[in-house]
Amino acid sequence: MSLKAVILAAGEGRRLRPLTQNRPKALIPVANKPIIEHNINSLVNAGIRDIIVVVGFRKEQVMRHLSQLSFPVMIVQQAEQLGTAHALLCAKGMIKDDVLVIPGDNYIDSGSLRDIITIKNSLLYTTHKQPSNFGVITIEGDIVTSITEKPIKASRMTVSCGIYHISSELVWRIADNSMSEVIDAEIRLGTKITAIKAHSWQDAIYPWDLLTMNERLLTDITAQKAGIISSSAVIQGPVSIGKGTEIKPGVVITGPVFIGEDCKIGAHAVIEPGTSIGSRVTVNSHTTINKSIIMNDAVIASHCSISGSVIGEGCTIGENSLIVHKDGFIILDNTPIRSSCGVIMGNGVISSPNILLENVIVGNNVCIQGKSDKRFSNSVIPDKTQVM
Amino acid sequence: MCGIVGYVGFRNAAPILIQGLRRLEYRGYDSFGIATLAGNVCVHKKTGKVSHISDSAEILQGTLGIGHTRWATHGIPSDINAHPHLDCNEKIAVVHNGIIENYASLKRDLIERGHIFRSDTDTEVIAHLLEEVYDDDLLVAVQKTLPFLAGSYAILVLSEGENRLIAARNQSPLVLGIGDGEIFAASDITPILEYTSRVIYLDDGDVADIRPEIYTVYMENKPVQKEINEITWTPDAVMKGGFAHYMLKEMFEQPDVIHHAVHAVIDSTLPRSLKEAKTITVVACGSSYHAGMIFRYLLEPACGIPVRLELGSEYKYTPVPFSDVIIGVSQSGETADTLAAVKKGICNNVRTVAITNVLNSSITRSAHDTILMHAGPEISVASSKSFIAQLGVLMQIVNLLAGGTCSEVLSHGRYAIEQILLTDITKAVDLCVSADHLFYVGRGVFYPVMMEGALKMKEISYIHAEAYAAGELKHGPFALLSPETPVIAICLPGTAYEVMLGNLKEMKARGTPIIALGIADDIELLEIADVVIPVPPAHQWIQVLTCTVLLQMIAYHTANALGREIDMPRNLAKSVTVE
Repeated sequence: MSLKAVILAAGEGRRLRPLTQNRPKALIPVANKPIIEHNINSLVNAGIRDIIVVVGFRKEQVMRHLSQLSFPVMIVQQAEQLGTAHALLCAKGMIKDDVLVIPGDNYIDSGSLRDIITIKNSLLYTTHKQPSNFGVITIEGDIVTSITEKPIKASRMTVSCGIYHISSELVWRIADNSMSEVIDAEIRLGTKITAIKAHSWQDAIYPWDLLTMNERLLTDITAQKAGIISSSAVIQGPVSIGKGTEIKPGVVITGPVFIGEDCKIGAHAVIEPGTSIGSRVTVNSHTTINKSIIMNDAVIASHCSISGSVIGEGCTIGENSLIVHKDGFIILDNTPIRSSCGVIMGNGVISSPNILLENVIVGNNVCIQGKSDKRFSNSVIPDKTQVM
Repeated sequence: MCGIVGYVGFRNAAPILIQGLRRLEYRGYDSFGIATLAGNVCVHKKTGKVSHISDSAEILQGTLGIGHTRWATHGIPSDINAHPHLDCNEKIAVVHNGIIENYASLKRDLIERGHIFRSDTDTEVIAHLLEEVYDDDLLVAVQKTLPFLAGSYAILVLSEGENRLIAARNQSPLVLGIGDGEIFAASDITPILEYTSRVIYLDDGDVADIRPEIYTVYMENKPVQKEINEITWTPDAVMKGGFAHYMLKEMFEQPDVIHHAVHAVIDSTLPRSLKEAKTITVVACGSSYHAGMIFRYLLEPACGIPVRLELGSEYKYTPVPFSDVIIGVSQSGETADTLAAVKKGICNNVRTVAITNVLNSSITRSAHDTILMHAGPEISVASSKSFIAQLGVLMQIVNLLAGGTCSEVLSHGRYAIEQILLTDITKAVDLCVSADHLFYVGRGVFYPVMMEGALKMKEISYIHAEAYAAGELKHGPFALLSPETPVIAICLPGTAYEVMLGNLKEMKARGTPIIALGIADDIELLEIADVVIPVPPAHQWIQVLTCTVLLQMIAYHTANALGREIDMPRNLAKSVTVE
């Protein structure tokens, strides 16, 4: 009997806006691969090939990406995003036996999956510094005694990773709207749910959490040097450079760094550890990038310095821009949130030369113009704003 | 991407292989071939699509065989280069999906040792390497050969005198299907699902010994246990990857397609005949004709080279061509009328350039030069991504002839299309669904964009849609306007903006519902139009691309709401190979 896996990738990930304005959280590239693809790889490495993906928000993008993988996954559509258990219910018609439920938008390693496969009716848990963002669980021995989804005040640090191995009988009883509620109800009914500690689990609640996830996943990359690399470029540590990418003279790249296909890295640019650069990206001469995610088709002009940032697809950053990684507070939905980044930039932003950004969120298609030096800190620039 | 398939069992292998290759056609279809074992190795291979020409292949005897369908990205598809490939003695046959990176050096060594090569493919080295080590045990021979191969492969091998297949995988997909007294192998599960739902996914490094009743999978020459997966999907669901129609899937592939098409031509590969041309004629049919028309609107102001545009079917009634070069545009490369026009040009000593999606199609063999648009296989009868690819190639030609002034503009194409695919067009679709007639109007370069938009609507929704140059409306069609005939108009800032706005006001006065593609915050347009679909401000070339995609989306969603057979519209064929 083969174990099926259901990946829940229908959710939007509102707290990761502006990055999730145009794509679901599962498709955000981390270490140059969408989060969901890391999870599919973990499943395959754990021996599970029968994979169903529930799609919803921006489903076409997810399906397009999945159809480019080397083996097929089954797609199920969730018309309205009514919670994780409802998403699983959408796939119910295809589930006969036990099933492994995995969120498509946070990372799990294959070792943890191998552990959970062996024990039916179980969940993976971990400890987290901000437990109230997750399903907080209490454990006695290795049995879960309660699970509370996003409590206002968490009594402990143990949280569910949202990864469950559940028996077919349990699948048939699902009715609620979140998996945590379903599991909690099961516990009350007397079902024994075993808690298994996850080895490596990474979630991004807020956009800056992606930087940590990126650093972690970059440690797994295989070095590769395709493309045209100048003999005077200095490349150290695990670095993957995609085909068609040009690395000009004097460039210094210190791994772990991932650079996609058809990029241009200009003379004397410096790419520091923990950086992922997508495909068709241009980084002009003398620019330094540290611990950042630069998505497809972005253009970074010369003499910039960027650290701790996410730069969305198709952004253009003007010359001499300074983007500094700073800790502080940003107000999101009227609540000040502790944040730590240079800039989190949506897609298609155009910013003029000589700007300074520190701990800022810049929405999609924002245009920052003007000649004088501009400085933005600890703030949010909404989508489509024209800053003159 | 290529597709491979294999069968060992009790039935005649050839029909199963051919049917399997048809299933795999979405992975490529420029040539195909099969080999079966009936005493000795019988091979049948051909250039072309397996669904068109396969009757002669199905007569091959034998209950064991392998097959391959190819989509060449480099190296020409020809009968000789089609798989399967044989060793010198024609006793071992191989099909292969992937790339053998070190084939050149292997081939040199093999030729030195006296092997005779028939094809230019990397795959043939595998057959000859096997021949060298073969000693009545194919499994051992394969295990000895694999360490010499660098690169990616999924291979299937058979040899005379042994009732078994050997399969091996490294970085290219390969699946086994376990039936009752028969076993299948294929690049993916689509050819297998008709016969069995029990499949095994091979992993990198696996070698499988496949006999009718029994199979063994080896990893590093040791047998390993493989899990059998029960698959409950339909082949159709696998091929469409969750999309309701191929057309929708292909529309969503357009961001990548435009990127590849633009990069398909560079200055050094641009045919000299184009660089030196003082006058150009474009010959095409259907959507390709519209692409040619857009080319004319872009090239003439940019380079001052006059462009004559001809319908393929009408070209034979015109006198001898007077241009320096003829460009024949055809997705399939088999369009009879376009092909005839290219041949007519050649007979009259005119240089010819083919722009097509299929390498070694008829047009590429006739024309002096060929530019491939790299859109990948297109299954939907109504073209979407191949039209965008044609625009990409033609825009790049204009750009190169104009000295590369628009290179940066073109690099924004990919992202612009990605963004436009997210546009909400529900309100426009609601208006179209209830209409019996639709008018599409535009000016300048947006006139052919509208012609293409109207063609898409006709093809897949069966709604009568006509495109007019906006200025022509008053010369007749205006009489047809009424509150029941919605008009779709492109009204973007530029030289035609003021007059276009005036045209729309006149239409509005007749009570005609107006769907306008315009700038989001255009207050005047918002007042006139019933629905405004926002087109992001950008260079005109980019707006040509984004408007094209928006019109595809309107046509698709209208047809979908009406429940039409979108991928196979009534009475239409993918390539028109008759006059």
